[in-house]
Amino acid sequence: MAYDNPELQYEHSSNMITISRLSQQAPKILERYSLLGEDTSVVSILNLENAENFDVLEQLAFSCLQSGDDRSALVCIDRLAKRFGSSNDKVAALQGLHEEATAEDRPALEGCLHKYDTILSENPINLPILKRRIALLRSLSRPVEATTALVALLDAAPTDAETWCELADIYQTQGMGPQAIFSLEEALLIVPNAWNVHCRLGEVLYSCADSSDVGNACHLLRRSIQYFCRAIELCGDYLRGLYGLLMATSLLLKIRTGHQEDSLVTASLMTHDTLKNLNLFARKRLEEIVSRRSSDHHLWEHGQAELIATKELLSRFDSSSK
Amino acid sequence: MALQGVEQTILRDPALFYWIVFPITIVMILTGILRHYATILMNSPPKPASTLAESRERLGLIRGVNFRNNAYVLSKDSFEMRKNYLISAYHDGAFLKDPGNRGQPPANPMTDPAGMEAMMGMMKGNMMMMIPQTLIMSWINAFFSGFVILKLPFPLTIRFKSMLQSGVMTRDLDVRWVSSLSWYFLNLFGLQSVFGFILGSDNAANHMSQQMAGMNPAAGMNPFQPGQDPDKMYQNEAENLAVMEHFCILDGIEERILQNYGAREAY
Repeated sequence: MAYDNPELQYEHSSNMITISRLSQQAPKILERYSLLGEDTSVVSILNLENAENFDVLEQLAFSCLQSGDDRSALVCIDRLAKRFGSSNDKVAALQGLHEEATAEDRPALEGCLHKYDTILSENPINLPILKRRIALLRSLSRPVEATTALVALLDAAPTDAETWCELADIYQTQGMGPQAIFSLEEALLIVPNAWNVHCRLGEVLYSCADSSDVGNACHLLRRSIQYFCRAIELCGDYLRGLYGLLMATSLLLKIRTGHQEDSLVTASLMTHDTLKNLNLFARKRLEEIVSRRSSDHHLWEHGQAELIATKELLSRFDSSSK
Repeated sequence: MALQGVEQTILRDPALFYWIVFPITIVMILTGILRHYATILMNSPPKPASTLAESRERLGLIRGVNFRNNAYVLSKDSFEMRKNYLISAYHDGAFLKDPGNRGQPPANPMTDPAGMEAMMGMMKGNMMMMIPQTLIMSWINAFFSGFVILKLPFPLTIRFKSMLQSGVMTRDLDVRWVSSLSWYFLNLFGLQSVFGFILGSDNAANHMSQQMAGMNPAAGMNPFQPGQDPDKMYQNEAENLAVMEHFCILDGIEERILQNYGAREAY
């Protein structure tokens, strides 16, 4: 898994270690692409002006902002602005992001919000700015406004999976499970093969089942298990999916053993054997992954938090089964 | 009739070769490259929607198509709910830009500025193909018509005569001789791979890509051609949705997982 080519690392990742490592390479990459945006006539003749190069700059700006290297991020954004003009949708959104990141107090953030509103009054369908505005509303902890804005955005652009996922996230933090499930299903309709969205849907269903009565919980858990299974089917070694599968099957097993005489519970279409097998399968698989990844330094480094959580879960199961 | 077994010989000035074959070929290649860059320069990107309502009108249809293609990820209940919602929304014209205009004939694309622009774009593309071709063909006709310039090193059947000897009306000439006008046609259709080599595979000098571009609806994010009535498209889509049958990929997935992966685990 050693990365020889730095570009390969530019997957958008939420892992802090990966991000900081990427942003440490900023000077190197910036130097390499220093031609970009300097003198356009020379660049276009040399055919250096590939879309990919600008993608790299954009990604670099994101990771620099995430790791707090605001100066490098500004250099990236300036370069993009020089090429595409600062009125370009994406560039404007990046500039806004930088301003938000460097804003020191609440009034400064409110100022950003006003700026977005002015941009939107000129062009009401500026998608990147619309999204930034919603994210800003969320970080200002005004979730109700953010939700209304998201719903309005989705009314105009219902084919954007990212927005649906964001809406689902807000709904879930507000404790509105069924709405979150609906939003995630819409997202799935747009990206039917995204295993992370499948897994997320499974997680939301699981947490809904956790807080509802027994009959309903069984139904929700069954659906949750199905989505986790689908995530695993799409991506065989998906740690998060396996973790969810293990949790969901264990919970369902527990409920079933507690309410064996209840016909509502036992009539949930899945035989007890299948359930047990799935539980066993998920556990075995997780153990295997943990042992494999712990020995390999590279793998270990990239999903550290997940692995630690998995280890803890497994040890908890071990102690309870003894 | 040409005598069998007797090699026809035509005394040609070798300069004919250098002054006709090479010029035609070079001119064809250069115009191809020129056309490629001219198309890039004149190509205006499809206009994005300017208001929220317009965007909703366009994407509303794509949403239906997405649903139709990917509904297998949903469970039965959520499928039925969405299907009913979409069908009734399509029937009521809930996604239309201005619902008041329903049932009226669509605006004439000639008077609608947005439609006009799209038509201009198409016309520009066609013009880029036609004008150079007409020019070069008349150039060849004026200067080189009637020359026999090449002899193919292999025999051919009589059917190829019309292909290889256009512009030379001699019945008895052996099919292996190629006239200048035919050389132009051969270049016109045979230089695709040369352009692909010089300009990259998705070049604008390529006829085929030009023709395909007209047929790809996803290209401009706008599913509606100018002059098309969105309401009619919605009614169509509603019908498509109404006849849909649901199957769910999640049915029996537990057994599938256990079979596919579990068997491997069991050793």
